[in-house]
Amino acid sequence: MSKITIPLGPQHPALKEPENFMLVLEGEQITGATVNLGYNHRGMEKVAESRTYIQNLYLIERVCGICSHSHTTTYITNVEELAKAEVPQRALAIRTLIAELERVHSHLLWLGVAGYEMGYETLFMYTWRDREQVLDCLELLSGNRVHYSINTIGGVRRDITAEQKAAVLKRIKYLEERTQYYIKIATQETTLLARTMNVAKLPPDIAVKYGAVGPTARASGIKIDVRKDEPYLIYDKLDFKMITHDTCDVFGRVVVRALELVESYKMINQILNNLPEGPIAVKIPMKLAPGEAVNHYEAPRGEDIHYLKSNGTDKPERLKVRAPTMANLQSVAYMMEGGWLADVPLAIAAIDPCMSCTDRAVVWDAKKGKKTTYAWEDLRKLGIEHYRKRGVDFTKL
Amino acid sequence: MSEFAKEEKIKAGLEAKFPGVVTNASVQRKNRVWAEAATEKLPEVLEWLKAEGFIYLSTITGFDEGENFGAFYHLSGHGMVASIKVKTPKTNPALPSVLPVFPVATSYERELEDMFGIKVQGLPPGRRYPLPDDFPTDQYPLRKDWTDANLPAWDAPAKEAK
Repeated sequence: MSKITIPLGPQHPALKEPENFMLVLEGEQITGATVNLGYNHRGMEKVAESRTYIQNLYLIERVCGICSHSHTTTYITNVEELAKAEVPQRALAIRTLIAELERVHSHLLWLGVAGYEMGYETLFMYTWRDREQVLDCLELLSGNRVHYSINTIGGVRRDITAEQKAAVLKRIKYLEERTQYYIKIATQETTLLARTMNVAKLPPDIAVKYGAVGPTARASGIKIDVRKDEPYLIYDKLDFKMITHDTCDVFGRVVVRALELVESYKMINQILNNLPEGPIAVKIPMKLAPGEAVNHYEAPRGEDIHYLKSNGTDKPERLKVRAPTMANLQSVAYMMEGGWLADVPLAIAAIDPCMSCTDRAVVWDAKKGKKTTYAWEDLRKLGIEHYRKRGVDFTKL
Repeated sequence: MSEFAKEEKIKAGLEAKFPGVVTNASVQRKNRVWAEAATEKLPEVLEWLKAEGFIYLSTITGFDEGENFGAFYHLSGHGMVASIKVKTPKTNPALPSVLPVFPVATSYERELEDMFGIKVQGLPPGRRYPLPDDFPTDQYPLRKDWTDANLPAWDAPAKEAK
């Protein structure tokens, strides 16, 4: 059978961020895949060099629309390290609280996206409805649903009141019940099992070789979690488990994220019930003495790492940001090889790359020069049809 | 024993294994080791660190410090981060590729080529990253002397879309 190369992306909803995959197909099976990136390059590292530390805080928050807190926390940890500042415990606790709420919202979002890519839209509707609860919590605490802006250099901008605490705990209790239901679905529902088991396999040695991080690596049995490896904020004082799974496939990634939700709820309860008293911020000078720092952080998708160099002025000399998706993308290319075209959206979505748009993929036959345009809907239908023929059908539910 | 036993061990190991190659090794704080390496020996230094448990190349940070360009290779493992610094002269900037040791380095190395104009020897040809395909090939935005004034004037589309 002749080989066909098709581009997937750069604009494509399963990709979330614009990126391009060149897929070499033999029939419906993928024999090769390469990743092309850079469509969303905004020159932030250059821009950061001409802005002050506090201005950069708001710039860095916009690196990502989902892990906005992850990036600012990593960035200010570097700034505070260079300023040799003692951040109050209460501020660290509030940062940790927002971090875990962010993880809950990100994992629930992902669970919905995964459901949607499988053709299991009920799951998508359920999780996204429940995700509103955690977004309400974030809005209640910070005033914003997405870019919380709770961080400031030297601490946090808002304190937590007793009423806010009660309101958050109430919502978390509801989410705990709902998550038990999702765990039941993820581990017992036969169609979901059939659709995710042995899809997009990533053996542990390959995961390490290609530098996979976060839930993607943990679902391949790799014990890697910055919260445990090098506890930052107040994670060393919290009681939680590192979740790993050994099936190395999309099923494992569903289970890891679902169980991580439970750990996050545990942590949110612990933080709110043991919130240290004291101030929430300290003053930090505008200018930082020359120095350099590197810090990492367990974002919902994996390790986020920043490097910061100061030069004695109020602006950084160099800032480097590496988001977790960058580390996970090479694994995606591996996961897709040998798989089916119909699994591509799921394989890509399974690393939870950071969603923006709806577009199309063009399929061309290089020999005949024939071009067929697949809209996202068509590709999704193709996936659902492919599995229906193999006996996995959600539409009968 | 100092309180940073495991960090000191890595530092001492680097200095013992690579005399004259690794310089300025230091333990900055808990879990942070910094060192400078001779450019041509970089892959060997990273290979040794990988064998010592730094199994992840987290990222590569390129920099422009006036007379030299260079890069930090941030390796992580055991909760520690080891940052290895290498330098290359501005006149003919080049660094060896670390792909044989860390296959994950492809995009980070392309970034060095695109943003700093550092030639990475041994990096297979491929599509550029992260700059757009039509970005001028002789301009490197993260160099300190670069500003957006260097960009050619933007040509507005000749015709308006109907």
